[in-house]
Amino acid sequence: MPTGIVESPVKIDPRVAFQSPEVWAKVTGKAIYGGDLMLPGMLYGRILRSPHPHARIKKIDIKQASGLAGVRAVLTGSSIVQKPYGIVIDDELPLAEAVVRYIGDEVAAVAAVSYEQAAEAARLIRVEYEELPAVFDPAEALKKGAPQLHAKFPGNIAWERHLERGNCDQAFREADIVVENTFTVPPIHSTYLEPTVCLAVSDPYNGLILHTAVQSPDQVRTIVARVLDLPLSKVRVIGPVMGGGFGGRVYGNLKLYIIASLLAIRTGRPIKMQLTREEEFLVGRPLIGAELKLRMAVRSDGTILAREADIITDNGAYSAQAPWVSKTLSERNDSVYQFKAIKTKVRLVYTNKVPTGQYRAYGNQVANFATESLLDMAAAKLGFDPLEIRLKNCVRAGDVTVHGLQLKSCALADCLKAAAAEIGWHNRKEGRGYGISAAIHSSGSVVFDKNFRGAAALARLELDGRVSIFSGEQDYGQGAHATFTLIAARALGIPAELITIHTRDTLASPFSIGALGMRQTTIGGNAIRLAAEQLREKIVQTAADMVNEPVIFEGGSVKSASGQVIELPAIAFRYYSLTSGLTLVGEGKYVPAESAYDKSGYGNIAVTYSFAAHAAEVEVDKLTGEIIVHRIVAAHDSGRIINHLAALGQVYGGVTQGLGMSCFEGYLFEGGRVANASLADYRIPTSLDVPAIVPLFIEQDDPEGPYGAKGLGEIVQIPVLGAIANAIADTAGVRVTDLPITAEKVFLALSGWECEA
Amino acid sequence: MSYRIAKNLDSALEALKEKDPATRIVAGATDLFLQEMPARLVDVSSIEELTAIEEIDNRLVIGAAATHARAAASELIKGRAAALVEACLQVGSPQVRNIGTLGGNVVNAAPAADAAVALVALGAKAVLVDSSGVWREEAVARLYSSYNCSALDGCTELLVRFLIEPCGQGEGSAFRRFAARKALALPLANAAARLKLENGMIASLSLVAAPVGPAPTRLIGTEAAILGKPAGEETWLLAAETAAEEVEVRGSLLRCSAAYRRHLVGILTADALRAAARRAAVSQSGSLT
Amino acid sequence: MEKELIKFMLNGEPVEVYNDPASSLLHLLREKFSLTGTKEGCGEGECGACTVLLDDLAVNSCLIPAGKVNGRSVETIEALSKDGGVDPIQEAFVEKGAVQCGFCTPGMVMSARALLKQNPDPDPEEIKMAISGNLCRCTGYKQIEAAILLAAGKINSK
Repeated sequence: MPTGIVESPVKIDPRVAFQSPEVWAKVTGKAIYGGDLMLPGMLYGRILRSPHPHARIKKIDIKQASGLAGVRAVLTGSSIVQKPYGIVIDDELPLAEAVVRYIGDEVAAVAAVSYEQAAEAARLIRVEYEELPAVFDPAEALKKGAPQLHAKFPGNIAWERHLERGNCDQAFREADIVVENTFTVPPIHSTYLEPTVCLAVSDPYNGLILHTAVQSPDQVRTIVARVLDLPLSKVRVIGPVMGGGFGGRVYGNLKLYIIASLLAIRTGRPIKMQLTREEEFLVGRPLIGAELKLRMAVRSDGTILAREADIITDNGAYSAQAPWVSKTLSERNDSVYQFKAIKTKVRLVYTNKVPTGQYRAYGNQVANFATESLLDMAAAKLGFDPLEIRLKNCVRAGDVTVHGLQLKSCALADCLKAAAAEIGWHNRKEGRGYGISAAIHSSGSVVFDKNFRGAAALARLELDGRVSIFSGEQDYGQGAHATFTLIAARALGIPAELITIHTRDTLASPFSIGALGMRQTTIGGNAIRLAAEQLREKIVQTAADMVNEPVIFEGGSVKSASGQVIELPAIAFRYYSLTSGLTLVGEGKYVPAESAYDKSGYGNIAVTYSFAAHAAEVEVDKLTGEIIVHRIVAAHDSGRIINHLAALGQVYGGVTQGLGMSCFEGYLFEGGRVANASLADYRIPTSLDVPAIVPLFIEQDDPEGPYGAKGLGEIVQIPVLGAIANAIADTAGVRVTDLPITAEKVFLALSGWECEA
Repeated sequence: MSYRIAKNLDSALEALKEKDPATRIVAGATDLFLQEMPARLVDVSSIEELTAIEEIDNRLVIGAAATHARAAASELIKGRAAALVEACLQVGSPQVRNIGTLGGNVVNAAPAADAAVALVALGAKAVLVDSSGVWREEAVARLYSSYNCSALDGCTELLVRFLIEPCGQGEGSAFRRFAARKALALPLANAAARLKLENGMIASLSLVAAPVGPAPTRLIGTEAAILGKPAGEETWLLAAETAAEEVEVRGSLLRCSAAYRRHLVGILTADALRAAARRAAVSQSGSLT
Repeated sequence: MEKELIKFMLNGEPVEVYNDPASSLLHLLREKFSLTGTKEGCGEGECGACTVLLDDLAVNSCLIPAGKVNGRSVETIEALSKDGGVDPIQEAFVEKGAVQCGFCTPGMVMSARALLKQNPDPDPEEIKMAISGNLCRCTGYKQIEAAILLAAGKINSK
C-alpha cells in the first residue's frame, strides 16, 4: 500500500510556522484518504435502508439479491447474531430486526465484487413493512398517546436531568427585571468534506483491522469489539488521513464500521464501504436539535441573579452520544457568568428522525446562542450597554463557577475588551449593528470516563538519533501533530525536524479517549511533554554511563563534563546492544488529580478552561431582510499559543462554521425525512459568504497546560452565534430566536407577517 | 451507452435522423449525472457554429453551446445585452459556468434558470433546426411546455443559436437575483428588464420575473402599468407593488415561503428596472452599455 | 455497459483507455489511472473537491462524462509535482497554512491554477470568486486566499 511520504522541498522556519511534513503530501494530492485505499480481492458493501420513519419488518426476501452475479454476501438482522449496543444507551442493533425507527435505518447489507453490483443487489432485496404511526416533533413525542419508540423508555424520554444551584425562585423574586424567550436550533451536520468510508479486513488469526479515519479510534474499536464479541486486542484501527472531523468523526458512523466488519468476517475478503453525500445527511448523526425556554433574573444595577431553563433536545431514533451532548448543552455555558442561581430541566426525547450526536462544541454553542441573545434582551430592558453588562458579570481567574468549575486562568474580561475595541464598539458606523458574545469551554475534560482522566504517551529514541512520539490523539488537519512536535522538541531540546508523531495505529499507540472536551493540547500535550522529559532523563543517564562522567544535554547535543560529544545514535545503540534489542523509551503519564464532583455534576470537570469573546458588525437590508456580515472579531484566551499558524487557521475555520450555523445551515424535515440532504440544499458558507475575520490572542500562561497552552479547537465556533444574533437585533430592531437567521426570517420579523412555507 | 462528439452541425443532425428516443443532444452534459442517463449521447459543445459569439447584421448571435463563462466574459454581449452578462456571472460557480451552456440552460427548462430569464427579457429568439433540415425561429419563452419540461423535441430538434436585437441608443437592460448564499445557490427569485427611454419616459419595456410559472414569464400587467411613465423611484415603487401582486408564486420548504418570494419578485423587479434605466440614460449620451 | 475508446492528453501525455463513456471523468481518473489526488466530496458538482482543468478551464470532474474528454487536454493535481518538484501555488499554500485536513486542497490548487493562467495578477475579490465553487470546512478560506495572492507574486517574479 502506498504510504504517501513526500520529502519537504521547501524549508519553513519552525519558529514561525511549523507544520507536519504531511502537509506536502496533502498539497500534492499524494495523501491517502480512506476512499483512496484499495486492497486485492476487495469487495464493495452497500446498505439497504428503511424508507419509512416507523415500521415493523414483516418479511425480508433476499433470494433475488443473493442470486445476482458478483454478490458474495447478503446480511439481514435475523441472519446475524446481534445484541443492542450504543455509546451511552444500548438502544441500537447493527441491522434492524423487528422495527425500523427512522428513514435511513439500516435493514440489510450486501457485499459484491463491484459497487454497482452491490447497489443493484440492495435494490433487489424485498422488504415487507407494516407502517406504524410516527412522531417527529419532540413536544408531540412527549405527549400521552404518542407513538413509543423504545419499550425501555416509556414517554420517549431517553435521558433527563433536573438541576438546581442556589435558590432560583428567590432570585427571581428579588429581581428587578425578568426576561424570557424561547430559542430553537435545528440539527446541524459537521459537513466534513470527506464522506465517511471504512475498509474492513478480517482474518481468523490477526483479527479485525478497520482502515478508517476517526477522532477517537480506541473508543470505536472498544465498541466494535463489544458488539462483535471479539477480544479487544483483536480489533485494530488504522487511520488513513482524515478529511475533516469537527466532532462528527469522534465515533464516526459506528453502524457502517460494524456492518463492514460483519461482511468482512462473513466473506473473508476486505470490504470497502462508503457513505454517499446524501447518506451523510440522511444517517450521519448531526448535532442534536434543541428548544430552549429561558428566563433570566437581573438586578437594576446589571447584576445577573439567576437563569432558569426548560430544554428539550431531539434525540432522533437512537441515542449515540446525545445524552452527553445534552448534558454539556444544559450546563457548560452557565459558567461564563457569575450566576447566583441556576435551575435547569433538560429532556432528551426520541423521535422518528435521524439519530443525533455531536458537533465541535458539543452543544455548548447552542446554549451560548440562546443565553447570549437573552442577556442582550436584559441589557436592552435595563438600558445597559451589552458590553458593560458582560464585563460586570463575567467570570474571572480564581473563580469557582456556579457548577463548581475552578478557573485557574481566565482572561475573559480582556477578551471582551479587546473584541469590543477592535470592532469599534464605541466608534460605530452609521447603519450598522454590533453584537458581542462570551464563551467558555473545557480544556481537558476529565469526566468522560472517571477511570480514565488523563492520557499517556511514549517517546522513543531511534537508532538513527531521531525521536518517535506515540500518542492516541488524532490530527485531522487542525495541526495536532505540529503542536505535539513543538512540545516534544522543546521538552527534549532537539530540532523539530528530528521528531515524528505516530498516532494512527491503535496497535502502536497508547489508549486514548480521543477528541472530546479539548483534551488534545492540555491532556495529550502534557502526556507527550512528560514522555519526552522522561526520555531526556534516560538519554542523559545512558550517556553518563557510557563516559563515566556527568553530562549535559543542551542545544540538541549531549556533552560530557570534559567536553566529549556523545551523539544520540550512539546513545541509542548503547542501550540497544546492552539489552539486545530494546530502544530507549520515555513514558509520559498525565493523570490530572481526581476531581470531586457530586451526583448532581457539581465539581471541577476539566483540567482548565479556555475563554473567548466574539464581536460582529452587520448590516441588514430592511427591504429584503438580507444580512450582510461585515466583520467578525474573535478574541481568544487559550493560554500561550504554541503554533500561531495553526491557531489562526482554527479561528478562521471555526468562526466560519459558527457563521454557517447562524445564518445558513440547519436540517429541514418533511415527514421525518431529511429534505435537504445534499450540499446544494444544506448550505455551508462559500468563500464569497465569509466576512473579514480578525483573530486576537490574549496570551497568558495557564498553570496546567503544556508550556502554558490551553485548547482552542472547539471554542472557536461558540461565541460567533451570539455575536451575530445580537448584532442583527441591534440594527434591525427585531430578534430572530430560531436558527438559522435567514433573510426571510428577518424580513418576516420586520414586516410582522405570519410565516408559512 | 455511446458518446459521440459531433464535429459539425450536419453530423449532429445525422444522429437525429433516426428519431431514436434514446438519443440525446448534449452540450455541457452536467445535468445528466443528476438524471437518467440516455443510451446515446451526441455532444455538440465543440461545434464552432454553436459556440460562436458574434454580431451579424446588427444582431447579436450567440451559439447555443456557448458557456456561461464565455458569455459572461464577452465584451460584445456586455455592450449590447448587459442583462445576459449579469445573469451568466451569477450561475452556480466558476466550474459550472465553464461547462454549462446557455442552450442547456433553456432546454433544461428550470423555471428560474438565470440565463433563460435574461434571454426572455431581452426578447431573444431561439434558432432551431430539425433532423430533416427545416429551420425555425422561436421566442425563447415559447420553448417551455410545463414545469422542468422543454417544448423542444430532443429526439428530432437541435437548438443552434440565440438572436438578440442589441440595446441601442436610449436602451438598457439589467438582471437581478436573490439567493441564500453568494455562490453555488439557485435563486429564490430573479428578474430581468429591458427598456427604452425617450425624454426620460419609458417608451418600451420588457419585464420578466421567475419563478412565477413553468417558463420565465413577462409581467404584462406591470409593463402596462409603467409604460409611458417617467424613469424614477416613484415608477419603480409602482412596478414593485404591481409585480408582487401580479405574479403567481409557490413556496417550498427548501427555498422560501410564497409570501416572501412574492415580495422578492417585487423588489428585484424594481432593482432590475432601476439598473436598466441607468444604463439607458448613459447610452442616451451615445456610449454603449 | 459498453466501453468506448477515449483518447486524450492527461497531464501532458497522450493516453488512451477503453471505458464506459458515461461514467464520470472523476471515476476514470481515480480508478483507471490511479490518480487519486482528485477527490470525490459529493459527486454532484456542489463542492469542487473534484476540480481538474479541461483545456485550461476549471471544471467539476464528477459531472463530466468520460466520453467528453476525447481529443482534449486534462490536467490534475498530480501534474504540478510531476518531476518531484512543487508548483509555486503549492509552496504558497504550505507557507500560508492553507492546508488543514487537505481534502479540498487539490481542488483549490487547481482552481487557483486556472485563475492564474487566465489572470496572472488577480485582486482579492477575483481570488475569492475563483474559489467560490470550492467548499472548505476547515479553513474559512482566508489562508487559502492569502496563499493564492502569494503564489501570483511568486509566479510573476520568475
